[in-house]
Amino acid sequence: MDYFFFIDLLQSLTDGLLFGTTYALIGIGFTLIFGVMRKLNLAYGAASLAGTYIGLLAFLNLGAPPALVFVISALGAGVIGLVVYYCCFRFTPETVPMASLLASVGMLLFIDEVVVHLSHGMPYPYPSVFRDSVIEIGEVWVRGDLLFVFLMCVVAMGVLFWLLHRTPLGLATRAVSQQPRAAQLCGIDSARVNALTFVIAGVLGGVAGAMTAAAVGVLSPIIAMGLTVKGLIVVVIGGLGSIPGAIIGGLLVGAAENIFLLLRGVTERDIYVMLLLFLFLTLRPGGLFGAHAGRD
Amino acid sequence: MLEIRDIRTSYGKIAALKGVSLDIREGGLTCLLGPNGAGKTTLIWTIAGILRAQSGSMTLDGEELTGLKSHTIVGKGVVTVPENRLVFPEMTVRDNLIAGAFSRRKDKTGVMADLEDVLQRFPRLRERASQEAGTLSGGEQQMLAVGRALMARPRVLLMDEPSTGLAPIIVEEIFAIIGQLRDEGRTIFLVEQNAHMALDYADHFYLLEQGHVTFGGRPGEVDHEELIAQAYLGARKAS
Repeated sequence: MDYFFFIDLLQSLTDGLLFGTTYALIGIGFTLIFGVMRKLNLAYGAASLAGTYIGLLAFLNLGAPPALVFVISALGAGVIGLVVYYCCFRFTPETVPMASLLASVGMLLFIDEVVVHLSHGMPYPYPSVFRDSVIEIGEVWVRGDLLFVFLMCVVAMGVLFWLLHRTPLGLATRAVSQQPRAAQLCGIDSARVNALTFVIAGVLGGVAGAMTAAAVGVLSPIIAMGLTVKGLIVVVIGGLGSIPGAIIGGLLVGAAENIFLLLRGVTERDIYVMLLLFLFLTLRPGGLFGAHAGRD
Repeated sequence: MLEIRDIRTSYGKIAALKGVSLDIREGGLTCLLGPNGAGKTTLIWTIAGILRAQSGSMTLDGEELTGLKSHTIVGKGVVTVPENRLVFPEMTVRDNLIAGAFSRRKDKTGVMADLEDVLQRFPRLRERASQEAGTLSGGEQQMLAVGRALMARPRVLLMDEPSTGLAPIIVEEIFAIIGQLRDEGRTIFLVEQNAHMALDYADHFYLLEQGHVTFGGRPGEVDHEELIAQAYLGARKAS
């Protein structure tokens, strides 16, 4: 293999793995919600992007510094996550899975419309940090902004892990996702756990949205589609319901995407990502980390 | 202690409990027997607040429980050991137990003391405290389910078919635990299909058939064989 091609490949892989953490976060969000409710929230990607837009409002109108913009984006997405829960999941009948699924599709379209109208469909500049700094590791350049994205996503995962494994709320969340009936019999208010899970997943989505925008320095309504589709691909590859699966799936999709970008160019990139999805659906439909045994 | 009056519960249009009344007396083991499909589990879930009764009332020392949410009912001290144990399979034994004390999570020292008590009571759980609950045997999972319920400091312990799916020798072990809990003066409501075993331990018992209580009394007052044959087989014993 040509030496320079090899370096290009390594470079693509590095960028892809760094950026893949945003996909991993979105995948974790889908998986968390599915874990506690056994339901898919298709509005999740759009809700995450809408939160990012709330951060953007603070940036454009108040001139908030980047750190504050990121925090507002994350918290905004958490609030919108809660709204999605109450609109699409809280009151839809548990025995009709289609009801909440379609309600969330409606919500996806609604949020998308609102964002497109308010932004006039135009991209806006979004704060980006460490744009100009680069760390050189041999011949491979690690972009400062991507490294920041990576670190923020890893921190978000760390906080999530701490929440799930070191706090009473996390214990309740794990209990509801493993055995909802027994969780209720332990005195856990499952409706409250569900609501809080939507908030936590929302915050993770907001971090992913903010970092996606920060990596390119631009926020555009079309990112919603990317977040939704990539998020779903990630959970299919990783295995719906598995957090480690979502992390591996996210990194894999990020890396594959950049390698396809290098090999086949930007116009064909997504075709190959879809092919990857197709391969998994055919050969390993449960995903890398398999599907958990059904509830009850 | 726990009074159940004329409870009616349905699944859609199908009535499962057609006006059930019974008393769970303080400091004793009250047993509910009945064949499959009689409504025993429905009654447990109705008391626990998972299912909603259409009419009737349930009171704990005079305090109304009807219509409360399940987590509130647990908070009041009515705690269920569900059928098929329903442990949290991917959580450690210790976390399962701590989850059982969720309604009193603010009382950290109390929870830790109770955890120690439960591990003292069930040494097998202590050996496996860091193991995932899904790896336990059926009998151990049943012990865990009982331990988890004890962590909530129950005033009334509801046990739904603790012998289901266990080998006879393990069933005896589980009943020994139930007997021990009764001897400690706890109030227990035991739902069982295993009538003979249950009657050895019961202070009071009721018979539930097709959503109706058809008998209530003390073991020894009547000819059990006759009653049980009638309830379970739907026929009088040849005399």
